[in-house]
Amino acid sequence: MDRRSLLRALVTVPAVCALPGASYAQGPEASEAVAGGPVSVTSLPKLKGKLTLYLGRGEGGLYEKILESIQRRNPDFELRIRRGPSTALANTLVAESRFGKPRADVFWSIDASSLGLVVEAVEPPALDDELIALLKPEYRYERWLPISGRFRTLAYNPNSVNLSELPDSIMTLPDEDLRFGWAPAYGAFQSFVTAMRLLEGDDATGAWLESLKARSKSYAGELNVVMGTSQGESDIGFANHYYTLRLLQGRPDTPLGLAFTRGDAGCLLNASGTVILKPSTRARDFVRHLMTNEVQGYLAREAFEVPLLEGVPNPKGLPPLASLQPPRVDLEKLADVRPTLSLLRQTGVL
Amino acid sequence: MTRPSFTAAGSLIVALLVLSPIFVLFLLGWGAELDATADVTRLLINTVGLALATVVGSVLIGVPLAIATAHCRLPFRGIWLAVLVAPLAIPSYIGAFTYFAAFGQGGLLAEAIGEPLFNIEGPLGTALVMTLYTYPLVLLTTRASLRQLDGRMVEAARCLGASLSETLWRVVIPRVRSGIAAGALLAALYSMSDFATPAILGFDTFTRVIYVEYNAFGLDRAALLSLHLLGIIAVVLLLESRVSVDRESGHRAFEMELNTVSRSLLQILMSLVLLASIGLPAWVFGAWLLDEGATGVSLSLIWNTTYPALLAAAVTVVAALPVAMYATRGGAGRWLERISTLGYGVPGIVMGTALLYVGLRLDWFYQTVALLVLGHVLRFLPLAVGPIRNAFGRTDKNLVAAARGLGASPWEAFQRVSLPLLVPAAISGGALVFLEVMRELPLTLLLRPTGLETLTTELWQVFEAGYFGRAAIPGLLLIAISSIGVVLMMRGERQQVSGGAS
Repeated sequence: MDRRSLLRALVTVPAVCALPGASYAQGPEASEAVAGGPVSVTSLPKLKGKLTLYLGRGEGGLYEKILESIQRRNPDFELRIRRGPSTALANTLVAESRFGKPRADVFWSIDASSLGLVVEAVEPPALDDELIALLKPEYRYERWLPISGRFRTLAYNPNSVNLSELPDSIMTLPDEDLRFGWAPAYGAFQSFVTAMRLLEGDDATGAWLESLKARSKSYAGELNVVMGTSQGESDIGFANHYYTLRLLQGRPDTPLGLAFTRGDAGCLLNASGTVILKPSTRARDFVRHLMTNEVQGYLAREAFEVPLLEGVPNPKGLPPLASLQPPRVDLEKLADVRPTLSLLRQTGVL
Repeated sequence: MTRPSFTAAGSLIVALLVLSPIFVLFLLGWGAELDATADVTRLLINTVGLALATVVGSVLIGVPLAIATAHCRLPFRGIWLAVLVAPLAIPSYIGAFTYFAAFGQGGLLAEAIGEPLFNIEGPLGTALVMTLYTYPLVLLTTRASLRQLDGRMVEAARCLGASLSETLWRVVIPRVRSGIAAGALLAALYSMSDFATPAILGFDTFTRVIYVEYNAFGLDRAALLSLHLLGIIAVVLLLESRVSVDRESGHRAFEMELNTVSRSLLQILMSLVLLASIGLPAWVFGAWLLDEGATGVSLSLIWNTTYPALLAAAVTVVAALPVAMYATRGGAGRWLERISTLGYGVPGIVMGTALLYVGLRLDWFYQTVALLVLGHVLRFLPLAVGPIRNAFGRTDKNLVAAARGLGASPWEAFQRVSLPLLVPAAISGGALVFLEVMRELPLTLLLRPTGLETLTTELWQVFEAGYFGRAAIPGLLLIAISSIGVVLMMRGERQQVSGGAS
């Protein structure tokens, strides 16, 4: 897989959805009723009036499509969107709150650590039980609403690694005679290390980083990590699950597979989500739209995001959720990146 | 107007405004603890090294191009100038990204020629790309100085038997030192505060730690690190010795007639620079465009990009006038001018956050175009101060004295004598600000009114989402608008010249 085809693979997904018509044929408006699943968007009250949304972007193109179709369905609804990098918007929200001049009704971020920071600094009111109850019990939080999940995974090259020989514990990975790829400056990797710190403690995490360092190649982002693994630069790449799935979608013959550890940071299930900063019926109804069958199905299908509520089909290429064992981690605590940075620097990884 | 009290007061107010976000940085960074393990020494060496390499590169390209576009008879000289300055409108992350995508094994360029290619990355790659997008700063400031030169000196040198190159080296260049220095300083400051280019091309500079800290919610440490960076910048400003400005009474323009060979060589050289700075990104955009197809760009995007940039350019020039005038008096004026330069060295994302805190104190100011314009003014002030100060320093004080002696009030003397002499420099400074504001991203993202999308924020969004092809149209539009800006600047200059002759 060369650089060009990586770029192509990355753009294939959004490019298909970007075709007019195609986006609505399979876009979030296409209704697929699933028995016992989340409600359809048609059962929700129409949105009216103005709402200010701070949108912390990542897989932004797809979120944009969702917001467009919500606008189209609700002509009396005026969505004022402030787009920016998640961290910058989180810092803005903290500043606004410190001065008592909140502007945003809702913050939608791809990054649980940004949400954690905002929740801690702004202290939004608790969500009502009905909203929280939409989610599977293990993903319920009091003050923010997860929208979709992403797994930490081991991307492996089947030409050099036998899946059955891989350990199912991230902590015993250093014992294997393998070469690794990682992106230490990347937020998702830092969240993974933070989760490891929370689960195993700083000392064990430091030792883990130390023992892998000599055998690991650093990349700028996790796309490059996965690409490096497929090219044989490493045997195992540490990356979020969707990079592998998107690469495989663009080029199904890429030598790349997904492996999961069990019950540890290696298979952390991180989440994107929303914080309602100014509670109102409108804000609540808007967030309800994101939890509908249509939007959730669209996120799983097009962005390979993991549904966190019952009854939405799993993204293609991901093993059945019941077979995976993500660790129990309070995602809000992933905002505590500071000690992680220190650890990464002490071990010379960053 | 030329009374020191007046310009001093204006200069002081501007300096205080520049210091206000820096003061916020002190408040934000107060009590932050830096990680001793952050390898600050190495980053310092890298940062300063990158700045030096960028200065050398941009002077080597910018100065010859300035001489060529100011004094050489060339076909389509105005168009050459317009496109040679256009790289200023290309956001550096776009430039860096296209280089990343084009070179290397399996890059677009390697695929096109069918041979594996080297990567453009690391210290050399970063310095190269940085040079390609900062040389116009040197080109414009040097050119503004060149146009103030008295052509009779060149004629005298030639009559006394100096060759053309000897004349350029010994007569022309020493007299535009301050213009070159001003541009080089801006290039150095830009290279030290930009984080996108080093980040994409894999080179560790000071801005990278700032960015990592910012993204890890260490706003306090990002602020403190920015203050460290400001410390380095202050040292650079100190090192910038007071280049004496020669005053010349005559302004006869001089033109160089090149023979066919050197003219062709010059045009080949200019084409190469253009190919590297605009051609390659345009070609990469084209390839993506073919892959994906384009989507339209709304007119409102163009308007939203242009009018804040025009406002910022105008306000910056007005703010720069007292600073530049007071600076030519030396002493306190020079210090206030150096202070006004500091904003250019604060990384945009940190400056934006600091101004956010200023804006939040004044509710009516927060998330308005006014705050956005203020942010741009504080950041890009030195782009206008430099050229105006140089031009002002070179105008003959006797002219003002004569006007006063003939009974003109200070204001009238300023209006009828000083100001017309400053117009070319003010226009070129304003154009620089306009171009920089159009490509600026982090400050715009943080300070704009909610819902105000510009060509640059559009570029960022489509890039972020991976729709590279869709970046082509806004990217080309940015270049087109900037070229129009440069052409207008040229017309202003010409009017000035003909107006002065009448």
